[in-house]
Amino acid sequence: MRILQTHKSRIPDAPATGSPINQVDWDLLWERFGTTVVTITIWFIAGLSTPGFANVDNFVSVLRQSAFVGVSAVGMTFAIIAGTFDLSVGSTQALCAWVAVSVAKVAGVFPAFVTAVALGGVIGLCNGSLVALVRIPAFIATLGTMFLINGLTYIVTNGQTARFSGKPFVWWGNAQVMNLPVPFVVFLGCALLGAAILYRTSFGRFIYAIGCNREAANVAGVPVAKTTTLVFVVVGLFTGLGAMLLGARLYSAGPGLEPGFELNVIATVVLGGTRLAGGRGSMLGTVAAAILFATLANVLNLNHVDAFVQRVVVGLVLLLALSVEGVRQRLAEYWSKRVARIPQSSQPLRGDQL
Amino acid sequence: MLLMVGGVFAVLSPRFLTPGNLLNVCTSASVVAIVGLGMTLAIASGNFDLSVGSTAAFAGCVTVSLVQQIGVALAILAGLATGATVGLINGLIVTELGVPAFIATLGMLTIVRGAALIYTGGRDIYLYGQTQYKILSSGLTPVLLALALAIVLWFVLQHTRFGRHILATGSNAMSARRVGVRTSLVLLGVFSIVGAAAALSGLILSAQVLTGNGRLATGLELSAIAVVVLGGTPLTGGQASIAGTLQGSVLVAVINNGLNLLNVSIFYQNVTLGLLLLGAIALEALRTDRRRTKQLTTR
Repeated sequence: MRILQTHKSRIPDAPATGSPINQVDWDLLWERFGTTVVTITIWFIAGLSTPGFANVDNFVSVLRQSAFVGVSAVGMTFAIIAGTFDLSVGSTQALCAWVAVSVAKVAGVFPAFVTAVALGGVIGLCNGSLVALVRIPAFIATLGTMFLINGLTYIVTNGQTARFSGKPFVWWGNAQVMNLPVPFVVFLGCALLGAAILYRTSFGRFIYAIGCNREAANVAGVPVAKTTTLVFVVVGLFTGLGAMLLGARLYSAGPGLEPGFELNVIATVVLGGTRLAGGRGSMLGTVAAAILFATLANVLNLNHVDAFVQRVVVGLVLLLALSVEGVRQRLAEYWSKRVARIPQSSQPLRGDQL
Repeated sequence: MLLMVGGVFAVLSPRFLTPGNLLNVCTSASVVAIVGLGMTLAIASGNFDLSVGSTAAFAGCVTVSLVQQIGVALAILAGLATGATVGLINGLIVTELGVPAFIATLGMLTIVRGAALIYTGGRDIYLYGQTQYKILSSGLTPVLLALALAIVLWFVLQHTRFGRHILATGSNAMSARRVGVRTSLVLLGVFSIVGAAAALSGLILSAQVLTGNGRLATGLELSAIAVVVLGGTPLTGGQASIAGTLQGSVLVAVINNGLNLLNVSIFYQNVTLGLLLLGAIALEALRTDRRRTKQLTTR
């Protein structure tokens, strides 16, 4: 934990303000736990103000709704911490969901699970190879595969939706285990697995290292190309799994399943405090952000807010959450300038003097 | 490349080279090109704008709704002003609040789309018999608008201080600030131009169907970026190729049109766009790679 930090060297841009040793770093606190605190606050406020929010059925539906973006966001957290991202998850999700539903129809649940996840992994491998081996920037590479997979999905499905409502299959999207919806349980499992990989394995540490500074990681002996490729495979695997859950939830899947899904996933991860520049981020934040988005939609629905207004609110929340740090730093800068006019007895410590 | 593809389609389909069809190609190319030209500026300054599709829709709705009340010319101005305002807000969020452009414009994408839908109430606004407004999309007007915008932006980039400051900000914002470029002002200008360009293409789209629709131009942002990248403007910033963006948008329009004439399913259009994008960039990446290794060995 670096909450109690000693100097401000992590933002190269920031002026070396005279922050005393052992001051609480509000930016880092906000980044780590901000979303969680906000989510819990919103739950309290909504519980008090919105009739129909605080009951078990509604909680179940909020948690279930959070899972479909959430599972994919677990994978995307890996990618964004590594300093890349994947725009193709929306197309991948549509293709995998269609494949899962179709396979479940003929072969059963387990083969459907395996094919959806494996297909996601293969797509991830393609993305990863394009980025790590051919060295196409991730934005363009995954933009290209996004169009490619989207087109392929329409060709393979012929524009038709696949439907299947077999009991064992739709159980994965609709049932409950001990009052918890199955997709949410899967989501939590994924998040725990993801956190374990990120925090407890060398692969996880490599991801943080690459995200902080690619060149330095390379010089230090981190297998950059291999790790980057694997990161995209991870994104694909989780997206495939999430796609199967969504297919099971809807009893069906077709091309154009969820337009703009990729941007929702990225927004969730970033709202959870993961830096788009890479190198910093947490799984807890991603889980909290996924639940926060689902809660917002639910509360707005319960208050009969227009669906169009909801979009505006969601965008505003994203912008507000991300501008908190900038605004706080501006205020701090302004404040330190005012303080600096008063002659100080002790010289402020600079980062390089510590 | 462009001539090659055009030649292939001309041989394969007799209808490709008819004047009417070529006009179609140019019209559809210029709608993307106008947004792409603005986006070229944004990318050259080291930023993105993901909100252009929503901005185009919003500006289209505003203009269409005002045509009856304040006349065509004023309504068009109002639409462009709407776009520039959205762009200015984007710029303010990026420069003043310190939100990365990707996220700032992503947030604005949903907000502006929501605003457009609220403004229209989710319904279409029809313009019966407003033939004056139709001028914006008929004949050569879109093509001329795109060319004019291209020439203006080329001149700005090559021959004005503002243009040089854009490139300086894109190649290294820190150094640019150190040598006295007011990067925030530059970015505000860039984002406003992008917004106005997006609005212009939204106006053309809405004039084509004489309808204001809040769902217009969904996904335009990614096609625009694809066209810019295809034209050879690197995503790293600091360089811009206006001519490349024009070529890229014509290439995509030619391929889509050719595939349509050859009765290829519309589903294949996205596949070709994806393959084209990946192929072009992969070639580019491999070439720079070889150059880099050559440098290393000669050193």
